[in-house]
Amino acid sequence: MAIIDDVRSIIANSLKLPVEKLTPETRLEDLGAESLDVIEIVFALEEKYDIAIPLRADEATRLVQSGAGGAPAKSNQSDGQDVPFSTVGDVAEIVEKLVAAKASK
Amino acid sequence: MNRVVITGIGVVTPIGSTREKFWSALVEARSGIGPITIVPTERLNIRIAAQVRDFNPADHFDPKRENLLDRFSQFAVVAARAAVRDAQLELSEEIALHAATIIGNSSGGMTTMDDCYYRLYAQNMPRAHPLSIPRLMSNAACSLVSMDLGLKGPAFTVASACSSGTHAIGQAFQMVRTGQAPIALTGGTEACLTVGPFKAWEALRVLSTDTCRPFSRTRSGLVLGEGAAMFVLESRERAMARGAPIYAELLGFGMSADAADITAIDPDGAARAMRAALVDAKVNPADVDYVNAHGTGTLLNDKGETAALRKAFGDSAEQLAVSSSKAVLGHSLGAAGALELAATALALHHQTIPPTANFEESDPECDLDYVPNTARNAPIQNAMSSSFAFGGLNAVLVLGRA
Repeated sequence: MAIIDDVRSIIANSLKLPVEKLTPETRLEDLGAESLDVIEIVFALEEKYDIAIPLRADEATRLVQSGAGGAPAKSNQSDGQDVPFSTVGDVAEIVEKLVAAKASK
Repeated sequence: MNRVVITGIGVVTPIGSTREKFWSALVEARSGIGPITIVPTERLNIRIAAQVRDFNPADHFDPKRENLLDRFSQFAVVAARAAVRDAQLELSEEIALHAATIIGNSSGGMTTMDDCYYRLYAQNMPRAHPLSIPRLMSNAACSLVSMDLGLKGPAFTVASACSSGTHAIGQAFQMVRTGQAPIALTGGTEACLTVGPFKAWEALRVLSTDTCRPFSRTRSGLVLGEGAAMFVLESRERAMARGAPIYAELLGFGMSADAADITAIDPDGAARAMRAALVDAKVNPADVDYVNAHGTGTLLNDKGETAALRKAFGDSAEQLAVSSSKAVLGHSLGAAGALELAATALALHHQTIPPTANFEESDPECDLDYVPNTARNAPIQNAMSSSFAFGGLNAVLVLGRA
């Protein structure tokens, strides 16, 4: 199963939504996710792929607060680079990178 | 209605386990946060905490007794004994018969629990230690304090996560105020720096990896701590009659529930508790000089608490000195409100405002006077100590100069 499909299914399952509602462009904020939902989703992905996704609770909150005022939420990667964490596709991209980094070790 | 005063303070904390050591570290902004040494850290991502480092149970308990006390009860009993000594209190049989023991705690005997489940699940041992239950029950500290001091009146444990200590002291205050108890031994205790809770807190993603910087723009989360603070409360009349030392007067207590989010602070709920405490104390917002804030050092708490202070104090917020002791003490959850009440009472006693340590940069969303890094000598007539718990349970005490 492609990572994007896994991510869609994990997010859909966590939010109790039909998976068809989720495309790579769907914003987590628009799915009605709360910050603790995001933390649970990240946890489920970490468990599934045995990776560590560095996302702080306040970033998760900013991510799902509507009208957060432009600044998209970021996940601070181990190389110190901030990567966007707003859409289903963003999440999949982060997981893909971390899985690839793990495989190359 | 009795006027209620604090006549004894006992502490076991990451910055020292005497009242004097505790106060001098607070004023000098010397933090108790450091590397975790109390448990193996190889499975932890977070490697810092505010541990109580100078505590040796054998100094306080005979070996047979020690076996019955989880670390959170040891802290409570040692702090309670110190509070009674500090108050120069000699308990008559009549007073002891009605004296209250009201203690806040969030996690129970976590060391015992962790050990017990490690044996069962990791080591596949067939049985648990027979003293597991009496050690781990969350009322154990309260029971052992009442047993140790012979206090036979109302006694119970209050659990409201990070507000437990403040809620407990508020209850004890009401009892002495209304005459339900002639004196009360009250406070909070917590010792949950074990691998299980560390991992669970890590998973919530609110812990800082470096240190605790309340209200600073560069704040990066909270740091877990442990400890206990206990107080002797009695009527002002009784304290004056026996010539007891008086640190401060308890003037008012306010509580509220956010009825909103399970983890995020709600400025409305927090402000309602502050207002309720001021009304109960019959103190105008403009007459409060100092607030010892909840100030956990998370992005959300400090921003939300600042908004709550502005809501509760209106224009007077501009003149208010606000500081958080958590940069120095860490966050000791159920004990935090008690440790911070000790800081607040001692601020009134010494007429000195302890600073917010580790303060680096102003945040436009935290725009009050946080007394950064340096203590301030200032006249303090009235002060406030606030606790806002996970689950939205808020408790606030207002104190006056003795």
